Amino acid sequence: MGLDFLARVRNFTIAFAVVAGIVTATYAGPLSGLGLLAGAAWSLVNLALLEILVVALITPGGASARALKRAMWALGGMAALFAAGAWLLFHLSPLWLVAGFSAPFAVIALKAFSRALLESPAWRALVRSPWRATAAVGALILAAWWLVPAGSLGQRAGGDAAHPEAADSAGVTGAHGDSAGVSAAGAEAGAHGEAVGGAEHGEAAPGEGQAAAGAEDEGSEKFPNVITLIVAANHGAPWAHTLHFLEPILFAFFVGLLVCATGFIASRNPKMIPGGLQNGAEMLVEKLYEFVGGILGPEHGKRFFPLIGSLFVYIFAMNLFGILPLMDSPTSNLNITFALGLTVFIYVQYVGIRSLGIVGYVDHLLGNPRSVTGWVLAPLLLPIHVLGELAKPISLSCRLFGNIFGEDMLMVGFAALGVGMLSFTHLPVGVPIHAIFFPLALLTSGLQAFVFTVLTTIYILLMLPHEEHAHEEEAQHAH
Amino acid sequence: MDFQAALALGLPLGIGIAAIGSGVGLGLIGQGAMQGIARQPEATGKIQINMIIIAALAEALTIYAFVALLMLNKKIG
Repeated sequence: MGLDFLARVRNFTIAFAVVAGIVTATYAGPLSGLGLLAGAAWSLVNLALLEILVVALITPGGASARALKRAMWALGGMAALFAAGAWLLFHLSPLWLVAGFSAPFAVIALKAFSRALLESPAWRALVRSPWRATAAVGALILAAWWLVPAGSLGQRAGGDAAHPEAADSAGVTGAHGDSAGVSAAGAEAGAHGEAVGGAEHGEAAPGEGQAAAGAEDEGSEKFPNVITLIVAANHGAPWAHTLHFLEPILFAFFVGLLVCATGFIASRNPKMIPGGLQNGAEMLVEKLYEFVGGILGPEHGKRFFPLIGSLFVYIFAMNLFGILPLMDSPTSNLNITFALGLTVFIYVQYVGIRSLGIVGYVDHLLGNPRSVTGWVLAPLLLPIHVLGELAKPISLSCRLFGNIFGEDMLMVGFAALGVGMLSFTHLPVGVPIHAIFFPLALLTSGLQAFVFTVLTTIYILLMLPHEEHAHEEEAQHAH
Repeated sequence: MDFQAALALGLPLGIGIAAIGSGVGLGLIGQGAMQGIARQPEATGKIQINMIIIAALAEALTIYAFVALLMLNKKIG
């Protein structure tokens, strides 16, 4: 508690304000985002000055000259700050400024709330058993999914009886929650086209009646998933358009939640002799750690393992998500993979500047010139290195996207073929010949997640000081 | 030949040509790795990891052609 708590609030608010500012700048115009950032910065500086003032005033030992001087500094700073705030109020939108201004207070309130919650007996009772925690998380997700479409889907649920096959295919999805919403959407799909349902997998395979997928405005065909079904059932509603627009992001968030929940449950009350889930998680983490440590060396391996390991698990989960019925891989969308690639790119540059220093970083981009030849070649090497750095996020994201999207397209194509094989029966069934590609999808998903992880590791390795690494190798040889 | 016909002809051909290059590259990578493993079976792990990295780099070139097809195929229709 105390100052430590304030420092954590400050760090979190900075991260939150940057993300919120970028999002606001994208969706509500650059000036709004700037206003949000300025408001948050203003509020943070204000808090920091208050902290200095309070610390100077309540320091034991009375009003020493030093403490008095610091208090005067803080007071003067606050006066300047208020002037700057007045100027900002005239030049930027007050609404966004106030939103940014209240960000630190919202963070403080949420942090205090979570502290109170984590120590309450009800929370402890909830997390004691993993099954109870899973049930609670599942109930939350179910409630969220049910509440969103419930408003407009309620009156359509009666159509189920007329379309038993749609209700049947939706029955499988009952395990995902939201049974009412999806079955209504499935009924809608049945009313539209020929209701081609690969009933074995609970996937309404795409056939001639593409109306179900809601993909007609996009042009590219894919398996219908929960969100496209909800959108198709509420065609024309403004929130449906937003939902369709946010589809890969929502799936990416959902996968992230799943990964977090699994990690949370697996690491809750660890046992000396681990059970199934803890055993699997430990094995995965251990193998990954061995691998990263083998490339980066023990010291750096420990430092970078959290990022690299979570990248692998997250990407692997996202790739595999497309195999589940009524789900979609977020990584089959270029925006998601490019966000991942950009994250890695920025982090790698940050690591480079942090570990080499600004001068060392520029020296690295110039190709470490040490001799006359080196200096002559430096102007030639600089653009090559810069272009090479810029190509990294593009190649990372395009590779992941192309592989996962191609694999999904392959399965869609074969599912359509399987539907076509039995189309003479006029029944909503098909031969599930796309099932033979499931092992292939498993292989590609794992391999692409692995390749992304390995390349990230290599990029980080290239940015670290080289002497140290050579030293380590020598030590290994001597060993 | 209007540009749509040119695209419809050129995009699949482009993928095929890129796949030839990638295939030759992948074959060479696999050959080298297999020879290395046969000579020194105890280095299998290290060789395999490097092989997968380089194979991913070679394979990415075909994927780029595929991405170009995805970007341009809406203009054919």
